[in-house]
Amino acid sequence: MFVQEGCVPENLRPGIAAAVEGICLDVLGAGEVSIEWTVVAKGYGFRGGRPSTTSLVRGRIPDGCERGTRARFLMGIADAWRRITGAAEDEVIVSARDWSWAG
Amino acid sequence: MPFYRCLIPEGSLSYDQRERVAVAFTDVHCGNSTAPRSFVQVAFLNTDGSGEVRDSHGQGVMRYSTPFFIAGGNRAGRGEAVKGRIHDGLIERFCEIAEVPRDQVSCQISEAPASWTMEAGRILPEPGEEAEWVGHGASGG
Repeated sequence: MFVQEGCVPENLRPGIAAAVEGICLDVLGAGEVSIEWTVVAKGYGFRGGRPSTTSLVRGRIPDGCERGTRARFLMGIADAWRRITGAAEDEVIVSARDWSWAG
Repeated sequence: MPFYRCLIPEGSLSYDQRERVAVAFTDVHCGNSTAPRSFVQVAFLNTDGSGEVRDSHGQGVMRYSTPFFIAGGNRAGRGEAVKGRIHDGLIERFCEIAEVPRDQVSCQISEAPASWTMEAGRILPEPGEEAEWVGHGASGG
């Protein structure tokens, strides 16, 4: 998880982690999730050349996920993120690469 | 996407330089592609001296041997010439703004299918198909 300093308070992170674990289990059937947080310091994160408030959720999922399933997974996380943090729809970007992808 | 992480020694770039690099990276990326400017994410992170940084998706590492390192993640599907111009353009502008020699900066860009990323509640478009996607209302914050 890459979050801009001040945008996702620490006390919300356990709830986000629990939501992500639930979505992984519900959509992918995968129950074991490892989450790391990287906080981009104020003045160090930009979007389109301007200071950013956008969070990036980036992870790996089991290979072979069908397109519709992956879309449900990404949407589930984006929805949970917005519900928990109050972020706007375009303030969270979710990406899930195949586990073995080396591109 | 794209997401460019600039690994820099602590205190090496001022805010003004970081902002100029972020604008320059946006110019380079969008000047060589049809991506909207709001797609371009740039984050500056301090190097830890290990010479490696974890892939932004959490698996594997990128290794580097220069003081400054640009770790990019882009959508797949562009030609080699375009990818080369983006790669070289990022390094050129970074060196110019950070005032560091070319041999002090390296860059590696990984790629993945556009359909593996969701932004503003929608799957990202393939490179070259952004106009219709943007027309449906995504912006950026």
